[in-house]
Amino acid sequence: MTSNIKYASDYSLMELMAATMAREFRDMETAFVGIGPPLIAAMVAKFTDAPNMTIAVEGGAVGSSPRRLLTCIADSTIDERAYACLPMWRLFSDQQRGFFDVGLIGAAQIDKYGNLNTTALGGYPRCQVRVAGSGGGNDIGSSVGRLLIMMRQEKRRFVERVDYLTTPGFLDGGDSRQKAGLLGGGPSAVITDMGVFRFDPQTREMYLAACHPGLEADTIKYNVSFDLKIASDVSVTEAPTQEQVDIMRALDPFGLYLGTGRSAMADPEKGFDFYMEILDKSYETMETLFSKMGK
Amino acid sequence: MQNKLSKAPVNKVMSLKEAVTTFVQDGAYLGFGGIGDRTPTAAVHEVARQGKKHLRLVSDTSVSFVHDSILIGLGLVDKFEIAYNWGGIWGSDGVYRRALEKGIPHPIEIEEYSNLSMGMRFLAASMGLSFMPVKSLLGSDIPVQNPNIKIIDDPYTGEPVALVPAAHLDVAFIHVQRCDQIGNAQILGHMGDDDSLARAADHVIITTEEIVPSEEIRRFPNLTAIPYYCVDAVVQVPFGSHGRGCSYYYAMDVPYGNQVGAAWATQAGFDRWAEEWIYGVEDWNGYCSKLGWERLLRLARAEQRYQKFGEVR
Repeated sequence: MTSNIKYASDYSLMELMAATMAREFRDMETAFVGIGPPLIAAMVAKFTDAPNMTIAVEGGAVGSSPRRLLTCIADSTIDERAYACLPMWRLFSDQQRGFFDVGLIGAAQIDKYGNLNTTALGGYPRCQVRVAGSGGGNDIGSSVGRLLIMMRQEKRRFVERVDYLTTPGFLDGGDSRQKAGLLGGGPSAVITDMGVFRFDPQTREMYLAACHPGLEADTIKYNVSFDLKIASDVSVTEAPTQEQVDIMRALDPFGLYLGTGRSAMADPEKGFDFYMEILDKSYETMETLFSKMGK
Repeated sequence: MQNKLSKAPVNKVMSLKEAVTTFVQDGAYLGFGGIGDRTPTAAVHEVARQGKKHLRLVSDTSVSFVHDSILIGLGLVDKFEIAYNWGGIWGSDGVYRRALEKGIPHPIEIEEYSNLSMGMRFLAASMGLSFMPVKSLLGSDIPVQNPNIKIIDDPYTGEPVALVPAAHLDVAFIHVQRCDQIGNAQILGHMGDDDSLARAADHVIITTEEIVPSEEIRRFPNLTAIPYYCVDAVVQVPFGSHGRGCSYYYAMDVPYGNQVGAAWATQAGFDRWAEEWIYGVEDWNGYCSKLGWERLLRLARAEQRYQKFGEVR
């Protein structure tokens, strides 16, 4: 079986991260997906192993099937060919009720129990570094079936205790999450540009489950501020398949998420034409992708 | 006893200047609707141009710069109640960072929620209730830092539950695709919390891409998210959410956002941007002319290649 898979030989770390995350989704699931690179990972899953997965996003759109890059959790791309456009509170209430199997969000900081900070670093409300705030992050982390987290690996981002607990992971570990009255299952996996992390079923503490190709567990441990546990059977992350990489490059040909596209678009001379070109090309590319999967 | 809230079914069409002058006072509690899409950018610019100050703003998710941050950067905001304020694909929000990291242009009070709990605040107010319960926020620092959130034991189950207070706004601004002259507002695409937001406010100003006959509204009554009795003013503002998009009408202008993001990297850059794009023009028409109608039409063409009202293409 494995021998039939064609792995990509040339890929970026961001592409590896998104491809690895894509493997966390399962077909037939309902998925709540947050802003940024998570949107790419979810789309890759949908075009490969999870074609019947339904993606919902915070703005209120459910099951969209866009033929252009999802640029936001709330813009016109996410309305394109959607099953439903609901009021936002209604969609989140559906999640609170238990209709969403899996959620994927990013974070600025994480701690050893998978609690996330997307609000402020270094103090509150006056802080050293301000970021966006909860948005739907707290709601997804509170109530979704299992939570997936995608973020950059840095020592200052992987800490003993988050500066501000925006989104609950396993709180203080053990059964503290349940005691707080939270309905969802809590974090299931954290995928960074260095490795894959999971959580001990009893202590609820994060451990290193897999290292990305070419990285030693010690190198990853060095990029974590707390005393990171390492699985006895720590593995090497599977490389992205050529298909996954092709899909990412078709979806995001200019690297808006996974490369340098944002600075190219900010060019006051050529940026707008460049954007129009993306939207022009996307239609045919995506129609081809959809027809390949028989949709 | 309730005060009379219903607005009459009469022609409410006016200019944005008139609507803001009539309904917005200094110190007002304002909400700008739309979430990422249908951002009432034109209305934000007009409130800024009229220099309304000491504002208290409330939004669920303000995923763009051309929303609450403009008023914060101009120093017109005292208090900000918010779940998420950032640029999304446009990049990080320099104005918001300066306000909360350094108190520039002046310190603002901040009161934070999550998207669902903010939606519950609008829903509570829209139902004439003073609070709603929610199973988010528990165990997090959000209620620790926000004393207006109460964690109680649910009187029925004994389990912890969070209560959030109703948000009764003075004025809500909501941008829609279609509205008739009396204020029946139809929303296409994702809704955000705008149906609740309208009912949570004492006064509602609708900005709309098109004003359509009531007969056209009656053909698709299920699309009417906000009925006329909530609405005080109807303002036709084509491309009124430029910067962000308007589903089925025009696409988000990503390069514009990236350029605004770059301009806002410093306060001086933000001030220059505001001078040029807000104070340097007479009204939204002036803004569109300055930006270039051709650019706007290309955004409309880009969106409508994929979807147009009633058609998937």
